[in-house]
Amino acid sequence: MRTRKRTGWRRIVNGVNIAGLISVLFIALPLYWMTIGSFETPANLASSPPQWFPVPGTTANYSTAFSQYHFWIFFRNSLIVTIIATALVLALGTLAGYALGRTPMRGKFSLLVVLLMISVFPEIAIIAPLYLLMREIGWLNSYQALILPYTAFNLPFAIWILRNYFLGIPKEMEETGRIDGAGPLRTMWSIVLPQALPGLFTAGIFCFTACWTEFLMALTFNAQTNFQTIPVGIATFGTQDITPFPTIFAASVVAVIPIGILVFIFRKFVISGLTSGAVKG
Amino acid sequence: MSRRFAPRRLSGPTLRLAALAGAGALAIAACSSSSASGNSPTNTGSSTSGTIVWWASPIAGSGPTDTRTVLINAFEKQYPKIHVKLENASTNTDTNRATLATQISGGSSTPDVFMGDVIWPAQFGAHQLAVPLSKYLPKSFFAQFAPGLVQGATYKGQVYGSPLFEDQGFLYYRKDLLAKDHLPVPKTWEQLMSEAKTMQKKGQVKYGFVWEGDSYEGLTCDFMEYLTDAGGTVTNPGFTKGTLNSPAAIKAVTFMRKLITSGVSPSAVTTFQEPQAMDAFASGQAAFLRNWDYAYSYANTPSTSKVVGKVGVAPLPTFAGQSYPGYSNIGGWNMYINPHSKHLSLDLTFIKWLASPAAQRILALKYSEIPTNESVRTSPAVIKSNAVLAIVPQTRLVPRPAGTPNYPAVSTAIYQNVNAVLAGSASPSSAMSSANSQVNSALSSSSGGGL
Amino acid sequence: MAAISTTAERTTAAAPPRGRRDANTKKLARIGWGFSAPALLVIAAVTIFPIVYSVIMSVSNVQLSGNGFALNGITGGNYSVLVHAAVWRYAVIFTIVYTLITVIVELVIGTCIALVLERLTAGRGWLMALLLIPWSMITVINAELYGYIYNGTYGVYQYLTGLVGLGHPVILGTPTGAIAGMMVADIWKTTPFVAIIVLAGLVMLPGDVYEAAEMDGASGWTTFWRITLPLLRPTIALAVMFRVLQAFGLFDLPYVLTGGGPGYSTNSLAILGYFAMFKNLDFGPGAAVATSTAALVLLGCLASLRVFRVQVGKENA
Repeated sequence: MRTRKRTGWRRIVNGVNIAGLISVLFIALPLYWMTIGSFETPANLASSPPQWFPVPGTTANYSTAFSQYHFWIFFRNSLIVTIIATALVLALGTLAGYALGRTPMRGKFSLLVVLLMISVFPEIAIIAPLYLLMREIGWLNSYQALILPYTAFNLPFAIWILRNYFLGIPKEMEETGRIDGAGPLRTMWSIVLPQALPGLFTAGIFCFTACWTEFLMALTFNAQTNFQTIPVGIATFGTQDITPFPTIFAASVVAVIPIGILVFIFRKFVISGLTSGAVKG
Repeated sequence: MSRRFAPRRLSGPTLRLAALAGAGALAIAACSSSSASGNSPTNTGSSTSGTIVWWASPIAGSGPTDTRTVLINAFEKQYPKIHVKLENASTNTDTNRATLATQISGGSSTPDVFMGDVIWPAQFGAHQLAVPLSKYLPKSFFAQFAPGLVQGATYKGQVYGSPLFEDQGFLYYRKDLLAKDHLPVPKTWEQLMSEAKTMQKKGQVKYGFVWEGDSYEGLTCDFMEYLTDAGGTVTNPGFTKGTLNSPAAIKAVTFMRKLITSGVSPSAVTTFQEPQAMDAFASGQAAFLRNWDYAYSYANTPSTSKVVGKVGVAPLPTFAGQSYPGYSNIGGWNMYINPHSKHLSLDLTFIKWLASPAAQRILALKYSEIPTNESVRTSPAVIKSNAVLAIVPQTRLVPRPAGTPNYPAVSTAIYQNVNAVLAGSASPSSAMSSANSQVNSALSSSSGGGL
Repeated sequence: MAAISTTAERTTAAAPPRGRRDANTKKLARIGWGFSAPALLVIAAVTIFPIVYSVIMSVSNVQLSGNGFALNGITGGNYSVLVHAAVWRYAVIFTIVYTLITVIVELVIGTCIALVLERLTAGRGWLMALLLIPWSMITVINAELYGYIYNGTYGVYQYLTGLVGLGHPVILGTPTGAIAGMMVADIWKTTPFVAIIVLAGLVMLPGDVYEAAEMDGASGWTTFWRITLPLLRPTIALAVMFRVLQAFGLFDLPYVLTGGGPGYSTNSLAILGYFAMFKNLDFGPGAAVATSTAALVLLGCLASLRVFRVQVGKENA
């Protein structure tokens, strides 16, 4: 079924194909550059002409990142904060996104615009008042000092994303569920949610990377090394005058691993959407 | 009359409710003024034991040999009842200023003491983000520092920072190449230019002279050196008026541009900060380098450099007709105390110790940082220990015009306009006149220099 | 074409007919609020106070001191500082142009990548993981990486242009070069995520539409332009909104890569606000920059929703 349908617009895709390949190269080359940079000695990294392969290669940058700069602590903290915040965002965001997409609430439009306003407000402007808030409730230097704001500031956009995908799901399906006597939570959980997996994936990845890379709040709220996350940790590498690029690149290579694993585990979310789409048709 | 909010402390649940309502916004600001009595701590503290938090960015070394750890251990050995806890700050000065301003204005009592840039005293003093140390420490304490350093840490008659270690511009050169070509170490900028050209022509190096020309604070430092050599200043002594619209300023910036147009400096120098300039020199591509104290050991470490053992260091040159040496801009770090600290006496003990010969010798002998304590700075052991420290007493220092709280805006006016000249997008005279008018508007701003 | 239009109608007309709110509707609305409540409470608890505070600062005479912010009365002065500052006007234009160009390029390339990805049967997981790596990179490091690539003496870019006889341009040394270089770094990082958003929308499209189109003998291009693209509209609107939002907040890239230079050619609004607040410690104008930026972004987002004719919240009346 799917293949037959494809024949119609294969030509476009083929036309796009070359562009796609170029895009992949465009994306992969800088990554390659970073990866080989992480195996260079500082002296070779700055040599001209540039080396296409690190000779002699060294893994010293990786051990420096972990032993000298305690990268493991930052990595652990980032994992804890990011995973909990993402889980919260997905749980709360799914409920709200479903409500805003599927139920006849009054004032939805205003609510969505307010949510938008919240997510457009520049982080730099709210950091100082938020610090006052955190200090007053005694949360400075803790995981929750990051988890709560990350959840709150990523929720609005996640709700938008999820609502958007919920809107695209045919209404009949959940009506069937309702006739079968399932409660609203059940209907959402077992009928609507499986259809919205691509949306969940998108929102999840969005939130995960946003938390994983956030710098300003992490820097301001958690001054103690024990609670610092990767972006803040890397900012303490080197000294005022020396930027140890190879070590920074090594840490960055390690820091992208979780997202790779995550995407690989959950890729079915996006791929399964394909088959269910075909079934729907 | 400023409308400070009543120093009323809200309890946790009340606060959360207030925040929820949104209407509590202003009331919460009260939290930040738990002691609205002024910027100096009410409790000077006379205790001799306790824990203080020291906020400092990495200096040198790592792990157990980290400078900060070594200093703390030595201090705690001498004062066993005082414990110093290190908070690891970022390596970026601007980032650090932002964090400290947020935390201290937010009323945080930690960090108790912090390491900060030498250009901060006026700004931090004006905004009451640091304790005026001269209120608590005698004149004799400040007399032990090298001349000029205390003056740089003074704002409106009060000293806000205690110099921890100093830094300044040096000229690094390839002594192997100079010897081969029978060239002397340059004493004037003009001489440096012609020697660099000679070495480039012979193919010994790709670039003649590398320095910091990017649009950032470091360019202000470099510019100050040329400007002072040419006899110019940025502002009048009272920091009320800009003086950049002068022949000296135009001469300085014209020469800097000429370094690029003559091919002695690569055009990429307009994007160079310390690491890029250092890399170009350490990879053996440049004959001369203007950089700070750290460059000597960096250029002599095999893992970071290809010119180990081939590097010489000298005071910076000056313009022809001026007396040698030229001026070196002052960088480096001071110690400051958080006005909300609850351990003032402990803080002072720690700061006094950091200025003492014991600590200063650790910084100089173990980490080749330039000591601020005059007796250590001029002691034979220190001078003998390191080629850079040996020439420190011969150099002439010039500070940046940081005596105004609006210095950041002044510096931005300098580096943005100078960088435009270096890149060839503005003429020296028009750039200096627009820099001057920006400096004037920064100096006349009451709040902090605006945008 | 009849079949096509009915299907298209079905997806947009999923709402029940407007009319009297019967008991069932009211019950559903209550459930809706119940479902939204936890999220809304968390958002309100954290965001309202700082945002209100910041807006108030933008219309106050603010003095920063060790005892917090002293707000000395209401003023419009902060905004008039902005309007009269050439740097602000430049930053507004720069930010808008930067946003427009990067968003359009990212959208076009992102959609192409999504179409290719959807068609792939093997290796899609790997490719997606690869695509999302730039996106997950810490922006500061992204900037450092491009700084390294663009380095004027040993960067690989100037080496390559040297090889093909284009000399050794100093990308970050000229305004045009710096702006273009920053755009490339931004597009590199963000296009993959746009692709994922579009891909997720693409795989959720009902399959029967294509069959109908095919039966009608529509060509590939026609199908793409007349069916795929219109059906993707809400998704693309979402991607655009998301990117407009982010591009307007452009901060880390110029902060690390160019410091706003050369001159002030890459001074974005966020950089301007940050420097005013945290370098000059001048929070009034800083908050005004932030608030005006937020207002501009909001306008931009709403306009882009309008362009894509996404009827926010009207689907179910």
